[in-house]
Amino acid sequence: MIDKFIPGLKRLADAIHEQKAIAGCQLMHCGRVGGIETEYCQGPSPVPQRLRIFRPVEVMTKADIKQCIKEHVEATERLLKAGFDYVEISGIVGYLLSNFVSSYTNRRTDEYGGDIQGRMRFVVELVAEVKKLCGDVPVGIRLCADELLDDVGGNTPEESMITYEMAEEAGVDVMSVTAGWQESIYPVISRDIPMGSWLHLAERAKQHLKIPVSMAYRLFTPDLPNKAIGEGKLDIWEMCRPMIADPLMPKKVLEGTEDEIRPCVACNVCLARLFRDAPMTCYINPVCAHEWDPKYEIKPAEMEKNIIIVGAGPAGLECAWVAAERGHEVHIYDKREELGGTIIEASKAPYGDDELYGQISFSKAKAEKAGVEFHLGTEVTPELIEEEMPDTVVLATGPKYVKGTAPGFDRANVVPMLDVLNGKAEVGENVVVWGNLKPGIGVALLLAKQGKKVTVVGKERKLGKDINPSFKWRYVGYLKDNRVATYNDSEIEEITDDGITIRTYDGYRIPIKADTVVCTEREANPDLKDVVQENGIELFVIGDALVPRNLSSAVHDGYRIGIRV
Amino acid sequence: MAVDPQKELTKLHGALGVSQAVIKSTFFEWRQTALELLGPSSDTLDVVLKFWEVAGVDVAKNFFPMLNLRKGQEGLILDLARALAGTGIANGAVVRVEKGEGPLEALIRWERCPWPTFAKRYGASMKEDLLGCDKFLQTIVAEANAFLGTDLKIETQKAIPSGDGVCLRRLYK
Ligand SMILES: Cc1cc2nc3c(=O)[nH]c(=O)nc-3n(C[C@H](O)[C@H](O)[C@H](O)COP(=O)(O)O)c2cc1C
Ligand code: SF4
Repeated sequence: MIDKFIPGLKRLADAIHEQKAIAGCQLMHCGRVGGIETEYCQGPSPVPQRLRIFRPVEVMTKADIKQCIKEHVEATERLLKAGFDYVEISGIVGYLLSNFVSSYTNRRTDEYGGDIQGRMRFVVELVAEVKKLCGDVPVGIRLCADELLDDVGGNTPEESMITYEMAEEAGVDVMSVTAGWQESIYPVISRDIPMGSWLHLAERAKQHLKIPVSMAYRLFTPDLPNKAIGEGKLDIWEMCRPMIADPLMPKKVLEGTEDEIRPCVACNVCLARLFRDAPMTCYINPVCAHEWDPKYEIKPAEMEKNIIIVGAGPAGLECAWVAAERGHEVHIYDKREELGGTIIEASKAPYGDDELYGQISFSKAKAEKAGVEFHLGTEVTPELIEEEMPDTVVLATGPKYVKGTAPGFDRANVVPMLDVLNGKAEVGENVVVWGNLKPGIGVALLLAKQGKKVTVVGKERKLGKDINPSFKWRYVGYLKDNRVATYNDSEIEEITDDGITIRTYDGYRIPIKADTVVCTEREANPDLKDVVQENGIELFVIGDALVPRNLSSAVHDGYRIGIRV
Repeated sequence: MAVDPQKELTKLHGALGVSQAVIKSTFFEWRQTALELLGPSSDTLDVVLKFWEVAGVDVAKNFFPMLNLRKGQEGLILDLARALAGTGIANGAVVRVEKGEGPLEALIRWERCPWPTFAKRYGASMKEDLLGCDKFLQTIVAEANAFLGTDLKIETQKAIPSGDGVCLRRLYK
């Protein structure tokens, strides 16, 4: 960071101050995980990278360490000039300072290595220098309370608490408690980890420190930190992804409109994009990274319209509340008695998928507030459209679930995925799931957890190509743990009394025993399109009805049409 | 049409054999290309050993997610021995892993290995074949040591290219 950035940083700090908030900024050297497009990265010792994406480590000399401390101090100076009120030092998840602190990555024999005191020397020196400059401006630090690196000889939790005490002694004013590294083999913040799972680490930190303790890590709803603060286990509630999903979250909590918070679904798309240096996006928040762009604003409609939305799933509901907020008269129909569309079934899959339903609760609250009229238990027919003759029809009817064309797909033991998820279908002990995208994986895991022997067969070349890489490794692990066999790039050639025959892309034929075949394949849904067009009514098709994809695409489609219609 | 499992397995087994053979041919074709481009002053053994070092570093990375210090040194040695054996099996060798005499050692026994046959076919010496294989395995062990901070060693006690009938390697601390 060089001085030319000070005016920009000042604009940032000023904007935060204008909203009566405290402006903090973080100092970070990415260390071991800092090199992707470079030849090398820097670190204490040349420990090979576990993740192939990162470059080999070049060992830092003592002169490099001194230089790095100097650069942190210079950066602090710029932050203070720009008007920031809080400086945070990053020492977590595999970044430089954590590399020095951890016995996994620090194998030095000089005074910056050895026991935990030696490994902390860099941090202690750096904190002291930054604090000297900051004076009354508080300095925080993020350090791991549990690195979750016991498989590769990382710090023990006891050593981590020593690092906390040493940082406090060196002068930090706030401790941000974290868990895990990018190289940990355990999941930490994905949806499969229940909210609040890491609060015990904050509690442990409190027992070792006098300074305030803050924490994020799956504290997605205010009740969790609120309770922990009340019980003296935490002092400050941090949150990251919840505010990517809904930047107004804290304001809504303060105003008591929590039901209008768009909940993060802990999918880690944002992280996956960050790691690949791709532009920021959020799975669930269509406005993320477009907040500056007037095209994404919800502006009053130039002409108020009477709109029928067919389908009260995630796409239809999102479109409904946005269009209604703009002043349109919006009627949303669904043949089911319940809101949510196929998310009702999708949220029954294990490993945290129940949280997907949060998007439905959010958009329902927004739609009710915006005055959307609900017509549940009402199937939209061509006659209904001709009778109502709205200005606009939005088809958000969800996908059509399709069976394959091979012999045997018409047998009674071939059942649709939705019937399996909502418990209507009878499923045998040996099951083949047809479809290797997320819906197939979800239903396969549900059945495998019931003790069934499950095989996933799908046409896609790679399993779960619709799941981002920062989450997919979890599903691959769960499939393995639950002994689910997978055949990608394959067709079902035939279904018989005993099971199925797979034909792989290169022509091998494999018999699989199966009592039940569950179909998860989907295609676009053209229903009602003709009648709308024949009557000259403005038509939009969104979500899986347009192209079967996922919750994200449904919400993004819904928002995009909601602000346009 | 019902599947004939025997026919499918025969086809698959044939394809596996061909792809295993292609891997070895490709190595020797690459070796010949490198030597021709480097010219007569190049040292064949240097080139070959460098190849096996590069391969060892890359293959070792595949093992990092499964090496686990929580299993203790004994478990780690057995897991790494199995991983090393797997590199041979994938190439069509018959390899077995046994516990060694002490708790902190494992024996890896190549009862059959196709590499020396290919080396002969392409005119490479048995010495080169043996040293190449040693380099590959030593590099993997060195990378695992660098990754985990351990101090494991591997030594070759018998070798098919030396006429011993088996390759026997001891992985130990
Ligand atoms: C897109 C993204 C960027 C992040 N960047 C940083 C960062 O620059 N520094 C940092 O200390 N943590 C960073 N984090 C981690 C978060 O601060 C936070 O610790 C983590 O997301 C867990 O908290 P949460 O469950 O509230 O999201 C980032 C997280 C995300 C999702
Ligand atoms: S991309 Fe996913 S994890 Fe990230 S903020 Fe959005 S919903 Fe949450």
